[in-house]
Amino acid sequence: MTRIGRSLRGWTNGMLDLPQDLLSDMPRITLIGNKEMVIENHKGVLNFSPGQLTLKLAKGSLEIAGEGLVITSILGRELAVEGVIGEIRYKESGENR
Amino acid sequence: MKEPPLSWLRGAVALHISGDRTEGLINAVTEAGIVIWNVKATESGVSLRLLLNDFYALRPLLKQTGCRMHITGRIGLPFVAARLWKRSFFAAGLLLFGIVLVLLCSLVWTVRVEGNNRLASEDVLDAARQEGIYPYQWIWRMDSPDKLSKHLAARLPGVSWVGVERNGTAVKIQIVEAALPEAKPLNSPRHLISRTDAVISDIYAEQGRPVVQRNARVKKGDILISGIIGDEANMQAVVAKGEVKGLVWHEYNIEVPLQKKNTVYTGERKDRSFLVLGNWAVQLWGYGKSPFEESRTLTELDPLTWRDTRLPFGWMTEKEMEVRETEETLTPQAAKQEGLARAEADIATRYGSDSVIKSQKILHEKKENGKVYMKVLFEVEERITEELPIVYNRGE
Repeated sequence: MTRIGRSLRGWTNGMLDLPQDLLSDMPRITLIGNKEMVIENHKGVLNFSPGQLTLKLAKGSLEIAGEGLVITSILGRELAVEGVIGEIRYKESGENR
Repeated sequence: MKEPPLSWLRGAVALHISGDRTEGLINAVTEAGIVIWNVKATESGVSLRLLLNDFYALRPLLKQTGCRMHITGRIGLPFVAARLWKRSFFAAGLLLFGIVLVLLCSLVWTVRVEGNNRLASEDVLDAARQEGIYPYQWIWRMDSPDKLSKHLAARLPGVSWVGVERNGTAVKIQIVEAALPEAKPLNSPRHLISRTDAVISDIYAEQGRPVVQRNARVKKGDILISGIIGDEANMQAVVAKGEVKGLVWHEYNIEVPLQKKNTVYTGERKDRSFLVLGNWAVQLWGYGKSPFEESRTLTELDPLTWRDTRLPFGWMTEKEMEVRETEETLTPQAAKQEGLARAEADIATRYGSDSVIKSQKILHEKKENGKVYMKVLFEVEERITEELPIVYNRGE
């Protein structure tokens, strides 16, 4: 995507008031208390252990820390996690990888 | 959505995957479009579940990522079926059981008839059998209940409605019997003749030909209403019916004693109570001798009942009541009245309560030996008909 294209896109988003996740390839995260979490539009699993789940995103990564994490389903770009979620940390691409 | 729809029917496998790059495998699986669920991280790797269909597609991915898998569980119908296939007799028994159960459930086991008083249950069951309702009949071979009830109603005489109701394996035939008019007694052709000598005061022929007229004098045995109608060419014998009243004279010899004995209760009473056990009665109250010279005893048994059955124990009371005899002397006038009243009552009971006393004449009256003797003639209007069957004497 060229720079002009990108800026044009940002401009249209602003003008038309469209949801960000539709156009700019960003994840949508739904969190139900600290029990359940659904992440749409992720780019794969980087690390998975009962205490930690790291997901790759279009830009950067998402770290979920908690206890007894279970991926209840993976369907294409959608991923559902259950367990006790303690921390969610968003890392921009510049810092890591 | 936690897992794909109908995963139990399609069969699923629980796997344990060990290796260094388990995350890579998860990504590869997702890329390949394989659905996995219940992914849990453990010390030595990852456990997950996937559909049986996708299991073979997993192999090359495992090789690619250098992981090893270990099957920990087989879930779903295909595995159950395979296991059953190995124990074919068990499976056959299971199937047979199901089939036998279904077959037994589709048999009629009992047929019940309800609501019949006049009709015999056997007749109803016979008719039902001909319509295809009988024990050990297949339910699917029976007609629909409304058709069956219509056919049954046509088959059974004297029935105004038939309902057929099937409840599981029991068939109930509900019957409402038609209300029939009361049967008239059959009569053979007859005449109505006179019972006594009389003067006709009223004649009304309902059926038959009246022979006599009002104020006619008839003798005993005369035909009043003839049962033969028509002329000589076209003759028919019918049952003569009707009402004929006539004036009849009755002579009564009446004697009434002037002394009259009565027994009256004095009101004095002594009660005894008993407890009844079977054939035994135990007296509880009212001991002691009877204090009365003359008495009458009334016994009341009051057994305990439960619903309609009498229990063999209960209560019995005996009431002993004192009586006293009184003597009464009638005046000749009162004795005469009483004698006439007695005669009138006798007429009413003998010749019908609708008899009317037209007049009475005392022919003779005397008082002798403490009695009143009377000879009275009553003129009574009463029914005088008697039946006489018509007999054909062809031999004459």
